[in-house]
Formats: sequence, structure tokens, C-alpha cells
Amino acid sequence: MSLEGKLVVLREERREDQRLFADLRNDLDTQAWPKGLPPDYTEEMHIKRLETREFSYERDSARLAIVEKASGRLAGFVSYTGEQHRLSASIGIVVSREFWGTGIGFDAQEVLLGFLFDELGLREVHLWTHSGISKAIALAGRSGFVECIRLRESVFKNGRLLDGVVMSLLREDYYARHTDKVDRLPKVA
Amino acid sequence: MLPFSLKRDGIALRAFEPTDVHALYAYLNDPALEGRRYLPDGFPDLAPLSARHVEGILEHWQKESESWTLAVVDTTSGALLGHVRADWEWDPHCPSACVVIAPAQQRRGIGSAVLAVALAFLFEETPAHVVSGWVASWNEPALAFALHNRFSEAGRQPRGGLHAGSFYSHVALDLLRGEWTAMRERRYVA
Repeated sequence: MSLEGKLVVLREERREDQRLFADLRNDLDTQAWPKGLPPDYTEEMHIKRLETREFSYERDSARLAIVEKASGRLAGFVSYTGEQHRLSASIGIVVSREFWGTGIGFDAQEVLLGFLFDELGLREVHLWTHSGISKAIALAGRSGFVECIRLRESVFKNGRLLDGVVMSLLREDYYARHTDKVDRLPKVA
Repeated sequence: MLPFSLKRDGIALRAFEPTDVHALYAYLNDPALEGRRYLPDGFPDLAPLSARHVEGILEHWQKESESWTLAVVDTTSGALLGHVRADWEWDPHCPSACVVIAPAQQRRGIGSAVLAVALAFLFEETPAHVVSGWVASWNEPALAFALHNRFSEAGRQPRGGLHAGSFYSHVALDLLRGEWTAMRERRYVA
């Protein structure tokens, strides 16, 4: 079984993906955090990062390429980081500008959430964004995320002071939205 | 006067030394501090710590470049009372601070005094605009401490972990530079 949605497939990242990933990192609209600047990342840097990864069963993060099913084209990536096994993780999503408004981002997010709840058995998934990215906040809201933290003026980007925003999705809320699924993981609290 | 020159109420801040390992071991292993030790990633926050763990923690703190963790000591006895940390590694615009005081030394005003040092450092010696802090929702004394020191609650991320059979939240707190300045001015006027 692959990580497949209605519009996308999520797969492992490959060497040939790294050109687009570097471009997305260097785009001030798709790079959410000042920490990621300046926008001078190269394809070679990304390839080196990919190729120095080691095999491990001790994984707490992943980045998966988003591939549009209809065309086979690379559309961006989803990721999760800081996974506390069987408890929680933080997700991220970056979609190439040409795919904005196509539903691919939402579909990719839903596929990733299905993986995190159905396969990794997480009890909560959250994401960090900021008040300047209304698209990201709306996209998260479509999957049931709710704002849980707003850190005032903690981001300075595009010449503006913005609030850092954390949005959270509980396991039971995910399954309540997906009535075709049954959550068989026993509650722990 | 630089903020590190704090010597008030018989307490002082200084760098940790290798010889602090036994005193640090003692208070970090106090059961009352479990889950709120504020240790570097990779060190257990719940299980008992070994001497080797504590040596590793000291080594980690001594290698920090975009943060510092200082020892809080009694100026009379030299006893180690706790540690205070300021961290601007993610972004100097929005650093974080935390204070850990040995349970036996709490409720003496030490935490507020050393938090004031961390805030003075961040707002006077770095370009911080807002300082954040994080506490577990079950840690009500820490939450009261932060609010007492004029932090505002920014929200709660659910399911930060399990404690005593229940999920707890990560409570986020923040303090803007303007709020800190106003607080300082009010104290000087008073």
C-alpha cells in the first residue's frame, strides 16, 4: 500500500527532486521562516543532505515528495519532525506555486495525516505557521486543525511583525472527520 | 551595570564548573523536579539521572554558543541553588528563557530575581522583541510564577505528554519588550 490520495502520491524523496526543493526553499513566499534565509540554497546542498542520510529505524522525522497522480509531476513536499513516538509530531507542507488552488496541498496533507494517525499511532499532530500565511492557516483548518497558541509578534518577515501560530489536531477529531475509518487504538488517558 | 553582576539577597550567577557535577546531580534527581528539569534534548526529563548524564549535561551547556545556562549560587555558602537559561538559537527576535530552582530553595524569591537577570540580558544585550517561556500544564507553580512575572499565556498545545495518568498541554507564555520596559519603569517609580 502506498501513500496515495485522490490527487497525489507521497513517496520518498529522490535526487532529481532536489532542484525543485532548493527553488522552494529560496522562494520567499514558500519559505515561511527567517531562519531559512538567505535564499541561496543550491541543488547540490540538497543532494548532499539527501545522500548523507543513514539507514535507521530510529526515525523521528521524514520528508516525502508530493507527486501529482495525473501528470506524474513533482508538486512539493510534506514533512513531519519532532515525532514523539505514539504521541505527537509537527508537520509542514510546501507546494510549488503552480499547484496552488488545485487541491493538491489539501490532499497531500490528508494523506500525511492518515499515515501519522493510522500507521504511527499519534495522539496529536500540530503545525507551526504565522499570521502572515493565511493560506496555510486555512489549509490546516480544512483538515480540522484548530489554533491553540498565538505567540505575539514573534515573527518578523516581509517587513512585518507577525504572530507565531500553533495549530493542533487531536486523534479523535481526525477520526470523527473520517467516518470511513475506525480508530482501534486504545486510549491511554 | 551588566545583568550578570546580580548579587542580591545573597545569590549570584556564575558559569557552571566541572566541580558542580555532584550538586547538580543532587537537585536534578530530586523527585519534585521530575518533568521540569529543562534539560537539553536527549537527556531524560523523568527517569533518574546518572552522574554520567549530569556530566553530559554540563558538557552540553558549556558548548552552547547561542544560549547560556548559568549556575545560581548562594553567595555565603557557595551552594548551588538552580540554573537559569536564555536561548536565542532559533531567532534572536524571539528568544526563550527558563529558570529551575532546587525544590528545597523555592518560594524565596530566587526564581524571580534570576529571571529578571535573564530578561535584562535578552532585552538589553540582544535585539529580542519578545521572550517566550514554556511550562507543562500540570506544573501550576511554574505557570503562576510566569504570570507573576508579567508573562501572558499565549495558548496551550494539547498532548505534550502524559503525567499522572492524564495528557498534559504545553503552555506557551510570552512577554513583549514594551511590556518588560513598562514593568521596569513601574518598579523604578515604586
